[in-house]
Amino acid sequence: MVTFHDERTYEDGEVIVSEGEAGAEMFIIQSGRVAVSKRTADGDLHLATLERGDFFGEMSLLESQPRNATVRAVGPTKLLAIRSGELLMKIRRDPTFAFELLQRMSGRIRLLDEEIARLSSLSGSRPQIKTLP
Amino acid sequence: MITNVQEERLIVLSDMHLGSFFCQPQRALARFFEFACDGRWNICINGDGIDVIHTSLGNIVRETSQMLARIRQVMPAETTVYYTIGNHDIILEQYLHTWGTLRLVPFLNVQSGATRIRIEHGHLYDSFFMNHGALQEKMTRATTYLLKIYPPWYHWHRLPRYLKHRSTTLPIVGPFFKRRFEPDDGLRIPGQKPAFIRGADELSRRGFDVVIFGHTHQAGVYPLTTGARYMNTGSWFRDPHYVTIDRGVVELMPWSL
Repeated sequence: MVTFHDERTYEDGEVIVSEGEAGAEMFIIQSGRVAVSKRTADGDLHLATLERGDFFGEMSLLESQPRNATVRAVGPTKLLAIRSGELLMKIRRDPTFAFELLQRMSGRIRLLDEEIARLSSLSGSRPQIKTLP
Repeated sequence: MITNVQEERLIVLSDMHLGSFFCQPQRALARFFEFACDGRWNICINGDGIDVIHTSLGNIVRETSQMLARIRQVMPAETTVYYTIGNHDIILEQYLHTWGTLRLVPFLNVQSGATRIRIEHGHLYDSFFMNHGALQEKMTRATTYLLKIYPPWYHWHRLPRYLKHRSTTLPIVGPFFKRRFEPDDGLRIPGQKPAFIRGADELSRRGFDVVIFGHTHQAGVYPLTTGARYMNTGSWFRDPHYVTIDRGVVELMPWSL
């Protein structure tokens, strides 16, 4: 079995992914840090700083949707890039990665649920819940 | 479930196999927990703390209860005891959960100082266990009877070394066993399959400085291609080892039985 690791290095401030662009890769931070931001009417909104061991970009990889945030390197940063086929290989070789990916997604759903509840209590309206077929 | 933790002082041991007919580490473990308590270490039991194959129900209940009582007796209330699930513990997860004293996790990502450490039992990288789990269990049960008849049989892994020394008198069998079990290919801790090193190497690409497994019962340290280190804590059947994580410094240490 051929093992291929697409490792990339970025300088401070370099854009890794841009909001709105198409993307089919996710990234794991091997060293350094990245800043995640989103465009708003008032300018760029800083969402998070991710550190070694964190990962990002999995939504574009899993859903083939454009990037929903911009990610920049903070200082010299080394990343491992993973595409969909490689993701399956990665999970085969490193099964706990799937657990951590699900853990991350679950955390996001919990935060969104809380946000929906908060917003609906502010507006006094009941949220419209769309169910998937 | 919290799998990412910050720990300045953590001690890791594995494969105590409590309840086993052939592994009686109780006295040594009691000393070990006292040592951990005196040093104000938090503890991670990295899987296979309890044996479900080489044992009887009576043995499991008696020894695990004694051990839990010992942990409660010597440990200050603020001590955290993590328990990563191993292949022998999977069916006991609910039982262990009810103990209350332990924080059960499938693996642990530890940040200590500037060092990032993965602690995992390691059975997921054992191709024989993953592909032929039922067969492995049957074989392990079969060895129970062999070991009851002749306990030193557990040291069968010394056979290749013995045959290597006898290679002049055993010219074909000796080199075969040596190649199979103890090759000098630099790809493993002696006695371990290269798959464990490959698994640790893959994990280290996610930004871990040290990867700690148990499962193989072979203690050792091995440098990975990424610059990280792989460590294995061996077992309490013989030659037990433990890992200390002290403000980012990670070391493998022996413990006398």
